Amino acid sequence: MEFLATLTTLLLLFSLLLICKYYYLKIHSHCYLIDYACFKPASDRQITTQTSGEIIERNKTLGLSEYKFLLKVIVNSGIGEETYGPRNIIEGREDSPTFDDAMLEMDEFLNVSVGDLFAKTKISPSDVDVLVLNISMFSPAPSLTSRIVQRHKMREDVKTYNLSGMGCSASLISVDLVRNIFKSGKKTLALVVTSESISPNWYSGNDKSMMLGNCLFRSGGCVMLLTNNPSMRARAKMSLKCLVRTHIGGNDDAYNCAIQKEDDVDRVGFHLSKGLPKAAVRAFAENLQHLAPKILPYRELALYMYRSIKQLIVKPKDASNSAMARINFKSGVDHFCLHTGGSAVIDAVGRALGLSKYDVEPARMTLHRWGNTSASSLWYVLGYMEAKRRLRKGDRVLMISFGAGFKCNSCLWEVNADLRDADVWEDCIKNYPPQTLVNPYLEKYGWVNEDTEETFNRAQRMEALRR
Amino acid sequence: MANEPLPPFSSSVRLKYVKLGYQYLVNHILTFILIPIIVGISIELARVGPDEILSLLRFLNDLDLIYVMSTLFLVIIVGTVYFMSRPRPVYLVDYACFRPKPNFRVPFSTFLEHARLVPQFDERTVRFQVKILERSGLGEETCLPPANHYIPPTCSMAAARSEAELVIFSAIDELLNKTGMRPKNIDILIVNCSLFSPTPSLSAMIVNKYKLRSNILSFNLSGMGCSAGLISLDLARDLLQAHGNSNALVVSTEIITPNYYLGKERAMLLPNCLFRMGAAAVLLSNCRRERSRAKYRLTHVVRTHKGADDAAYRCVFQEQDSEGLTGINLSKDLMAIAGDALKSNITTMGPLVLPASEQLLFLFSLIARKVFKAKWKPYIPDFRLAFEHFCIHAGGRAVIDELQKNLQLSDQHVEASRMALHRFGNTSSSSLWYELNYIESKGRMKKGDRVWMIGFGSGFKCNSAVWKCLKTIKTPVDGPWSTSIHRYPVDVPAVVKVL
Repeated sequence: MEFLATLTTLLLLFSLLLICKYYYLKIHSHCYLIDYACFKPASDRQITTQTSGEIIERNKTLGLSEYKFLLKVIVNSGIGEETYGPRNIIEGREDSPTFDDAMLEMDEFLNVSVGDLFAKTKISPSDVDVLVLNISMFSPAPSLTSRIVQRHKMREDVKTYNLSGMGCSASLISVDLVRNIFKSGKKTLALVVTSESISPNWYSGNDKSMMLGNCLFRSGGCVMLLTNNPSMRARAKMSLKCLVRTHIGGNDDAYNCAIQKEDDVDRVGFHLSKGLPKAAVRAFAENLQHLAPKILPYRELALYMYRSIKQLIVKPKDASNSAMARINFKSGVDHFCLHTGGSAVIDAVGRALGLSKYDVEPARMTLHRWGNTSASSLWYVLGYMEAKRRLRKGDRVLMISFGAGFKCNSCLWEVNADLRDADVWEDCIKNYPPQTLVNPYLEKYGWVNEDTEETFNRAQRMEALRR
Repeated sequence: MANEPLPPFSSSVRLKYVKLGYQYLVNHILTFILIPIIVGISIELARVGPDEILSLLRFLNDLDLIYVMSTLFLVIIVGTVYFMSRPRPVYLVDYACFRPKPNFRVPFSTFLEHARLVPQFDERTVRFQVKILERSGLGEETCLPPANHYIPPTCSMAAARSEAELVIFSAIDELLNKTGMRPKNIDILIVNCSLFSPTPSLSAMIVNKYKLRSNILSFNLSGMGCSAGLISLDLARDLLQAHGNSNALVVSTEIITPNYYLGKERAMLLPNCLFRMGAAAVLLSNCRRERSRAKYRLTHVVRTHKGADDAAYRCVFQEQDSEGLTGINLSKDLMAIAGDALKSNITTMGPLVLPASEQLLFLFSLIARKVFKAKWKPYIPDFRLAFEHFCIHAGGRAVIDELQKNLQLSDQHVEASRMALHRFGNTSSSSLWYELNYIESKGRMKKGDRVWMIGFGSGFKCNSAVWKCLKTIKTPVDGPWSTSIHRYPVDVPAVVKVL
């Protein structure tokens, strides 16, 4: 009798121990953002309207229609006077970028931002267990992750992953990689570095679809520290609730809509086709289909089902379009970080989600101040919200990004505490939002919309520009 | 790393048997302890007699049903939670390597003629490249992509993409045929290619060609060197721990087309001579139903990154030469750094795989040297006790020689690496899979065998993976060696005269 009682007690204790271990592992599958630091390039790298015009002028292969096209793109881009470019382009060497130029651009970012983040968070580089870097268009050997390991003397058993070629939505792919490693339960600290390389990727030809990249992309980057250690939760800014990735590369049009290739005369450029908005819409819709059930409250989902069923019964022809607009994403999300691909992208996404001017303001202002910094743009948008003191404890932030492939990735963060670190926005946040969003490019180059072939005289125009 | 073996007296026959006896004793200690216990219990049972045993059983019957049920219930709960919290096993269902067609062959004579006709190379450069080739350990059947057969080579992005499509798609097609896996069932896709990384990535190219699912977890690693195949395996393993019932496709390759160096810097000409076309596609799974047909199980992956040391970081370095041409610079102390990285790697790997006998010996030797200050050489554990087969990255003849010396391996152990280097050249991250296929094609892979894959790469990294074979592989094996295995092994002379 006693033997059995003892056996029962022992087994009970052991089972409790195992159940605790199981829940311990489950708890450890959290992902906390300790802090992040965006990159602010040196002020001598600023690209003003003047500089933009000069750079376009330098390209001798452009004819009138290409010239007009480029200026129209710049005028409608939503980009302001203070964005940054790489040194070789500002110094006039965009046609012949060297390997060292590309490396210098990366070094300027890595040497500043990574050290800044370690200093800000008071964490030592030798504590980092996982290092993930994503820079799409430049991938030297040894990888840039090795460069960071070398500079900061990280441990020998650090797990490094250098992602490349994954487009403008790659920072969420890096976060996804880290999140999956966190699920193993072991206490891990991860450093994620995201940026884009512009120096070696200037297109010096006259194919219109490839010149868009030249106009829109600007220099920028961001570094983040993530962990699954519950003891660091108190100092973490946000925690990750869910992340959804959608890849519609299976569709040929979607795959070819944003692709790096050679033009007719074998100059390499980044081709953005007319089918890009359509691919973006498809990817976005599919992503939302998977995302909505995870982030919206049950009440909203039930309401949506009720409305769509009602619509199907009453007017069976008018189905999905209006139904999608009817989901109120603001019921489950407080702030929206939209990828600053261009003002058209921001407007389209804002319309699809039913967002107000207040909701899209961070993305618009980021586009104005920093341009399209590719994968790191989401973090500048987040920085704007933080600088404006919009992020309060318990708020939910939705990040949406698009990228070549074609991919749409999104994730939901929950804010841990009231955030107030202005970071890179500190010196200019009080100027935003400006009373009138004056488009300096429109002022300078607005004439392009009126000029015709007969009256075009390149020399005369150059005179006008120099004045 | 100390290269000298133990003091000469260990070669005496008597000591060899002592060593064998010691190993047998320590490695089977549990059996040796259990035998007397079992004997004791059976004697006790025999003494007690059958009546007492029956009365014990009747006693159990008298107990309340509830006690018995609750005990049983607890046992079940404990068993379930225990099994659920264990790490998921990672099985290698199958793998396929790219089989280059003979028209891509670059025999020494072609290489020489080609180098002479390329306008950018002067006589000195040509002679240097040929000298390297003569001593490289490569054979006459290694292959270069179509673009490199042009004079001068056409290194455009379109040509690079078509090489990528050729090697990757043929490896994946073969793998999907062999395993019968439907593309829609692939949950994870990891691609590694160091020196070519277009946007959208090669992983997006594969998603496009095979119409993979839209919620696939795809990752494209680049710039990580020749050991990146093992990094991809590590990532796949982590992802398979996080997602149950999943299949992962890992593609390792190196695209040669955009990396032909047309300058005069000697250290940068080496890759021209050594790197060849190749690719491997590997299907991993953690589904229990795949266990019955899986070939291997992944037991350990150990990664070592020596980048914190400046010399190690710079020893394989992509940079521009004085004329502005980009190439990969290989430094002269590459071997020393590789040896050092290997030492760090096996320091971590040793305790995971070595049998208890070797670990104890190593411990004794360490204690003796540190505590008693005995003047013994550091004991190098015998890794031949832990592994039956070795796949060493076929980076070059010097790398294989160095590792053979350091790990005290026999010629048969490194035969796979040498022959893969001879037949296919240095195919970078996929070379380990060509070597594994060699071992299988020779009929040497038996159930229960353990394989050690070691890769080195820029950074400087040394990564290794350990596989356990789940079923004996029968010959003939349908793979890249099908048409040539009967001619191997060959004796590779130190220098092959070309001129």
